[in-house]
Amino acid sequence: MSDPLLAVENVSVAFGGVQALSDVSLEVRNGEILALIGPNGAGKTTLFNVISGVLRPDAGQVHFAGRAIVGWAPHRIARAGIARTYQIVRPFGRLSVVDNVAVGALVHARSIGQARNDARDIVTFVGLETYADRPASSLTLTQRKRLEVARALALRPRLLLLDEVMAGLTPTEMDGMAEFVLRLSERGIAAVAGIEHVMRLVMRISHRIVVLDAGRRIAEGDPAAIQADPAVIEAYLGAPLGRGD
Amino acid sequence: MKRGAAAIAALVIVLLILAPLRLNGYAMDLTYITVLSIGLAYGWNIISGYAGYFSFGQIAFFGVGAYATGLLVADLHWYWVPAALVGGVAACALAIPLGYVMLRLRGPFFAMGMFGMAQMVRVLVTAIPATGSGSGLFLPPGSGITGVYYWTLAVCLGAIALTMWIEGSAFGLRLRALREDEQVAATLGVETTRAKITAFGLSALIPGLLGGGYALFLTYIEPDAVFSSRLDLQSIVMAILGGLGTVWGPLVGGLVMTQISEVLWARFPEIYLMIFGGLLVALLIALPRGIVPAIAARFARRRGA
Amino acid sequence: MILLQLAINGVLLGGVLALSALGFNIVFGVMRVVNLAHGDFVVLAAVFAAYAFAQAGVNPLLLLPLTVAAGFVAGALIHYLLLRRLPSELAGAEASSLTLTFGLSYFLTGAGLAIFGGRFVSVPFLTGAFQVGPLSIPQARLLAFGVAVVLSLAFAFLLRSTALGRAIRATSQNLDGALACGLDVDRVRTIAFALGTAVAAAAGTLMSFLYNLNAQQGVLFTVNAFAVVVIGGLGSYSGAVLGALILGLTESFASYFLGATLAEAAPYMLFILVLLIAPGGLRGRRVA
Repeated sequence: MSDPLLAVENVSVAFGGVQALSDVSLEVRNGEILALIGPNGAGKTTLFNVISGVLRPDAGQVHFAGRAIVGWAPHRIARAGIARTYQIVRPFGRLSVVDNVAVGALVHARSIGQARNDARDIVTFVGLETYADRPASSLTLTQRKRLEVARALALRPRLLLLDEVMAGLTPTEMDGMAEFVLRLSERGIAAVAGIEHVMRLVMRISHRIVVLDAGRRIAEGDPAAIQADPAVIEAYLGAPLGRGD
Repeated sequence: MKRGAAAIAALVIVLLILAPLRLNGYAMDLTYITVLSIGLAYGWNIISGYAGYFSFGQIAFFGVGAYATGLLVADLHWYWVPAALVGGVAACALAIPLGYVMLRLRGPFFAMGMFGMAQMVRVLVTAIPATGSGSGLFLPPGSGITGVYYWTLAVCLGAIALTMWIEGSAFGLRLRALREDEQVAATLGVETTRAKITAFGLSALIPGLLGGGYALFLTYIEPDAVFSSRLDLQSIVMAILGGLGTVWGPLVGGLVMTQISEVLWARFPEIYLMIFGGLLVALLIALPRGIVPAIAARFARRRGA
Repeated sequence: MILLQLAINGVLLGGVLALSALGFNIVFGVMRVVNLAHGDFVVLAAVFAAYAFAQAGVNPLLLLPLTVAAGFVAGALIHYLLLRRLPSELAGAEASSLTLTFGLSYFLTGAGLAIFGGRFVSVPFLTGAFQVGPLSIPQARLLAFGVAVVLSLAFAFLLRSTALGRAIRATSQNLDGALACGLDVDRVRTIAFALGTAVAAAAGTLMSFLYNLNAQQGVLFTVNAFAVVVIGGLGSYSGAVLGALILGLTESFASYFLGATLAEAAPYMLFILVLLIAPGGLRGRRVA
């Protein structure tokens, strides 16, 4: 088997007295959709912060496309091909929707004109073309979520880190987002989706699942195996998986 | 709207160029100070308006420029134009290491940190014996105000042109992104440190060059005159009133403020500060983004966008 | 021996600086607003006290309740009518509140100059000193220090043990949580701001018998308060006290050893150093 695109190896992070991540490892392959699930506070966002270079782990290493990236500045990691969205959306409020996306597009474009053109294409692709020249602060939450993804796509990433990208969406919108992630996967873009609930979709679209609880990896496997894993069920306080969402 | 604004700006610029032919004495001095303040406002606008790093200490670079120029002219007998250029370069050279250190701070910490830094620079510069140790530096009387005025006008126009370029460039977009959310900008590939330092350097170069001219204007420089809080604050207010992070904001703010300032000073000298402060507060509440964005928004609404 | 003397002077000064800084800290902690007019409240109270003493022989300590009340009301009005109106969109908030308090500072300085004129004044009150062996402890400084300590403790009690104090602390620490608990955040902010200016007025009243001041020196005291808060750590009241003591000592030693000119730079140098080395201050919250 070829080398994984992303390899997180024994990463640990502590804040003050709290161990946010303990010895967490996982792998993502090209084009794979990995669901990172766990209750709130399990460490999903912290892991994303480590991978994207925003946070330096106390221990462990992260390899992306064969290179060790711990200690790299966030912009360098972004240029290398890792893009992320934020759980609480953070648009560049006073910039237009196109400009929001153009920032990322600058990495691959040769001029700002080209960056804006590329950005427009992506804005259309995510269905925000009517708002293209409006300030991002004028968008609704759902639209902002799409903008988050659009900005990430502008980097032409090989790996997308999606942090709670479903939160706050209606069921129809969630299905739409799930389809979207599947389409990206078909194009060879891998994704790690951090999700707290909405298990039904998780089961449907992910190739593999890693379960975090209180900073530790407690299970890993394909959807069917995870559903049956007693440790996972216990972590979610006995809530049945794949039903009732 | 764009064409209208450009036409008005062109008219103002032509008037400014012709000023020395018609004015002298107090009116000319006032015009010079106005242009100087507008130039300072443009310099300030880059680091504070576009990059979002509000600084209360850019006057440090103005003072450094003034003293560097003053020393070259007074002690080494340089001709003032290259001396003023060196003044600008010196300020910029100081800004780069300073920026690496100070730009790690954010928000009000950076603002006040720069204030403290400016005070420190002032103390250190005036402690050097060569600068007359606080008792001032005398320069030989120059060619009259005209030369200095055109130098200042040229720098000011250059600053406007630079701002226009920034507005439309990739650099400007990166700055605005980091202003909105620095961490997100970094994860979207923006080299934030490099962008910030560049902006900071430009925001030091402009006051540095202007300070060089000011030394010639005063011909006698002493610390409080060139590390002048009043000039600093005046340019900050101009930029904010006019519109932070816009191309025409500092110009509009500068012109408006000078007129208001003149009228108030003439008619209410005793309570000038009170009215000035009160007006600033009122304007901020009424037009929180400044004059230019408010006008732009009005036009956008008329067009039905 | 001279060192001990300098130390004592520094500590006594620190006590009053601490009071000023507490007021500044509460505003910064609760609302992330740097009140650039803070120093003007201090100075105006001082100048007012000096005039009241000169005109009517009123003891500045008796004036304390008056200046504190006036400071409170003024602060409440300023927040309620002005500061609340500012947009709190993402990147605009800090710049606009800085600018607003900046304009306010001009306004207050101007008002002070208009009402009281520009002369340097102080209250010649308790000009004697206690002699403890070779050390000389100025009575005025000791009194100011004592009152400052009492007021600071009262303030600390307010924060720790009253419902209002808890509301203030909750809003500073976790805005969303406070909102979720149903706290009227706007009202808390107004009260916090008013408390900040009231405490500033108290500190100023005390300073009137320590220094010669004029209406234009507000900036100095704002920077001082900011420096103390930075050194001691944002959000930490005990840190502010510690910071004030450090600053008081620094100013005392610096002016003796470095002379007046360089001593001016000492507090700035200290606070920049702290900003760079320990951005959270000595006791402040960890910057995430």
